[in-house]
Amino acid sequence: MSYLRAYYADFTRTFSNVLFAVCLLLIWGLLTLAGVIVAQGKDPGDYFSMYAPPLARLILRLNADNIYHTPYYLAIIGLILTSLAVCTFKRVIPARLPRLHPVAVDKIPLSAAITVDQALPDVRARAEGFLRRRGWLVRKREFNGTEWTFADKYNWARRGVLVAHIGFTIIAAGTCVYWARGFSGDLPLLAGQTIAVPHSSASIRLNSFHYRISPIMTKSGMVYQPIDYVSNVTVIQHGTASQRLIRVNHPIDIGGTLFYQSSYGFALRFLVRHTGVRDAALSSKTYVVGDTITLPGSQREIAVAQFIPTVDRQSGQPSSDPRVTNPAVALQVTEGGQNAGAALVPLNTWIDVGDGWRITPSSYVMVSGLQYRYDPGVALVGIGAFVLLAGLVISFYFLPARLFVRITPAPRGTTVEVAATTVKGYDIFEKEFNELLQEFERALRPQEPQRVFAEAT
Amino acid sequence: MHGSMPLDEVLMIIALGAYVTSALALLVYFFSREEWLRHLGIPLAIAGCAAQFAQLIARYEITHIWPLLNLYGSLSLFAAVSVAIYLYFAFRYDLWFAGGFVVGLAALFLAYGVTWNEGTMPAVPSLQSYWAKIHVPLVVSSYAAFMVAFVLSAMFLVKYYFEKSLGQTQETRVPAMAAAAGSQGADVPLHSGFAYQGLSVSMRADTPNIASAAQAGNAVAQWLNTMPTLAQLDILVYRVVAVGLPLLTLGVITGAMWAHESWGAYWQWDPKETAALFSWIVYAIYMHLHTRRDWRGLRSIWVSAVGFLSIMFCYFGVNLWISGLHSYKL
Ligand code: HEM
Repeated sequence: MSYLRAYYADFTRTFSNVLFAVCLLLIWGLLTLAGVIVAQGKDPGDYFSMYAPPLARLILRLNADNIYHTPYYLAIIGLILTSLAVCTFKRVIPARLPRLHPVAVDKIPLSAAITVDQALPDVRARAEGFLRRRGWLVRKREFNGTEWTFADKYNWARRGVLVAHIGFTIIAAGTCVYWARGFSGDLPLLAGQTIAVPHSSASIRLNSFHYRISPIMTKSGMVYQPIDYVSNVTVIQHGTASQRLIRVNHPIDIGGTLFYQSSYGFALRFLVRHTGVRDAALSSKTYVVGDTITLPGSQREIAVAQFIPTVDRQSGQPSSDPRVTNPAVALQVTEGGQNAGAALVPLNTWIDVGDGWRITPSSYVMVSGLQYRYDPGVALVGIGAFVLLAGLVISFYFLPARLFVRITPAPRGTTVEVAATTVKGYDIFEKEFNELLQEFERALRPQEPQRVFAEAT
Repeated sequence: MHGSMPLDEVLMIIALGAYVTSALALLVYFFSREEWLRHLGIPLAIAGCAAQFAQLIARYEITHIWPLLNLYGSLSLFAAVSVAIYLYFAFRYDLWFAGGFVVGLAALFLAYGVTWNEGTMPAVPSLQSYWAKIHVPLVVSSYAAFMVAFVLSAMFLVKYYFEKSLGQTQETRVPAMAAAAGSQGADVPLHSGFAYQGLSVSMRADTPNIASAAQAGNAVAQWLNTMPTLAQLDILVYRVVAVGLPLLTLGVITGAMWAHESWGAYWQWDPKETAALFSWIVYAIYMHLHTRRDWRGLRSIWVSAVGFLSIMFCYFGVNLWISGLHSYKL
C-alpha cells in the first residue's frame, strides 16, 4: 500500500511539474514539425525517391508518413492532457490568495517610503480612498499594534491558467467526439450521377459543374487564375427534391452533414471499336483518370493517364491553360504489364492500339469533387478555442498583485511605506509601481511631499 | 494613367524611403545617443507606417481586390504592423534603442515583399471569403509582434553574452545572471537611484561588468549600458509575446473556422497549419518557462528566439518549399 502511495505521490509530483509539461510540449512540437518536413500521406515509393533508402525505410517504419494519426502522436497528447489534469487538481485549483501577513517592506525590491506632513488618521483615510478608487481590494489587519493595509488587484486572474487549461481540454474533448461519432469522406460525382449520401437517407445528384478561370498576364508570365467552382446539385430527401448550389466557401447542409466543393476533374467516354464494330460494353462506360480499358481477348490494357484540357495548336504539346478549348487524352498502352507505348489523342480522333482495336475519346464529363463531413464535436472545439484564448488574455493582461502598506507616525507627520509583489515577480510590475507611487503620493497630500526611498543593503 | 505612377506605388516608395532613413537614424542613435536622431527617426517611422497603411487602402481602392492574399501584400502588412507594435511599445516603455533594428528589419521585409509584386490578381475561390479579411491580418500581426520580440531577445542575448565575456576576462563571477534568470535574486542590490522615472532608471543593475567597462571607456559596453537591464528586457519580451501569442491563437482559430467552411474540416494537418501549430507550441513553451523564476531570462529568451525562427519557417519556408493543400485539381 505504502509502495502504491509513494508511486502515486511520484506520479502526481512529476505530472504537475511545469518543466515536465514543457518537456511534453517540446516532444509534441518536434513531432508536429516532423510532419511538416516529411510530406504526409504519399505513396511508399515516393519516400524512396525523396530520401536515402535507410531514411525512407525509417520514415515508413515509424509511420512518419502519417504521423498525426500514429499511436505515439496521440499518446503524447494524452500525456499532455493527463499532466494538465493532474496539475490542475494539484496546483492550480488549490492555489489560494496568500495569507495576509506583514513583510519587511525595505527588503522587497518594489518598495518606497513617503513621508508627509499630514496627521496619521488623515493619511490613512486618503491612502485607503486612493487604493479603493484605483480598484484595489483593501483589507486591514493589526499586527503587534501596527496597522497594515493589504490591497489586492486582479486576484481573480489567478484563474487565467485554469481557464486556458480547461479550454485546451475542451478542444481535445471536441476532437474525441468527432472520432467517436463523426464521419467524413470524398464524394466525386460525375455530371448526371446520383449517389446516396453516406450515413443518411438522402441522395444527391450532380446536375452540372461549372468553373470559371481567368487568364491574367503577370510580370512573370500568363497565370490562369481560378475564379469560381460551382456544383449545381439536386438533393433528394424524404421524397422531396430541391436544387442547390455548392461553391467553394459555401457548403450546404443536408441533415447535419455538410457538403463542400473541394476539387474538380474530368471523366471520359471512349468509342471502342474492334475491326470496325463498336464494343458496346467498353463504349458505354465512363472512365476517370487512372482507369484502364482492358481489351477482350488481348493482353493489352489502355490506361487513361491524363486529361489535357488544352493542347497547344501550334506545338501539339499540352498547354498550361486549364480551360477546355482543345482537349486531348494521354493514353498509356501496356502489353502483359510491359509498357507498349503512349499517345496524346485529341478528342474525336482515333488511335489504332493494335490487334484491330481502335479507340476514340468521344466526350468528356465534368467531375465535381465534393467532400462531406458530419462533425458533432465542432461546437465544442470552437468553444474550447475561445475559452483557451480567454485564458491566455487573462493570464497575460491581468496581473494579480498585492500592495503592503504600513502607515506609521513620523517625527514630522506620517510615513507611508509601500511594497508590492505579484505572481510573476517584481520586474513585470516595476513601471506600474512607479506610476502608482507617483499618483499615490499626489493623493496623500496636495503639496510637494518629502520623499525617502527604500534602499536595501 | 499615361506613364504616371499609380498612387499605391508612390506610397510604397515613400514608405520604403521613410523606413530606410528612419532605420539609419535610429541605428546611429543607438550608437551615439544623439537625441536629435531619435527625434528624426521616430517621426519617419510613423510616417512610413502611415504611408504603408495608406498604400494598402489605395491598392484596395484601385483594384477592389483584398490586398493581403499574396506574399507582397502580406509582407507589406507584416512590415507595417511590426513598426506599429514597435512604436506602441516605444512610447509606452521607452524602447527607442531598439528602433533601428525593428524598422531596419521591417524595411528589409518590405523590400523583399516588393519583389513578389505580380500586379493585380483576383483571388482563387478558396480565398474569396470574408475570413480572408479576418484571418490573414491576425496571423500576420502575430508574426509582426514576434519579430519585435525577436529583436528584443537578440539584444538581451548580446548584452548577456557580452557581460559574460567581460566576466570571464576579468575572472569574476557574474552575479547578474541570478537577477537575469529570476526577478527575486536577492543578492543583487537595489539601484540606489531607484525612482519614479520609469524604465530609464534601472531597478537593479544586473550587468555590473558592462557597467564598469562602460565607465572605463569600452564603447560597446557604453552602448549596451544604456539599454534596459536584462531583467527589464526579459519582461519586455514577455509583454510583446503577450501580444503575439493571443493574436496567433486567434489567427489559428479563425483559420480553422475558415478551413471548416472552405475545406470541410477545421483541421486538415496541412503543412501551413501544422507549422503554425509548431510555432504556437514553441511560444506555449516560452510562456510556461516564464512562469518559473529560474527559467526566466536566458533560457526563456532562447525559446522566444527559436520561436521567431519557427515563425519565419511557417511564413516563408512552408510557402516556398513545401506544397500544401491548395490544389484544386483532382
Ligand atoms: C502539459 C500540460 C500542461 C501543464 C502541466 C501545464 C501547467 C501549467 C502550470 C503549472 C502553470 C502555472 C505556473 C505558475 O504560474 O506557477 C501554467 C501556466 C499556464 N498555462 Fe499551462 N500547462 C500545460 C499545458 C498548457 C497548454 C497546452 C496551454 C495552452 C495554451 C497552457 C496555457 C497556460 C497559460 C496561459 C498559463 C499562464 C501563463 C502565464 O501566466 O504567463 N498550458 N501551466
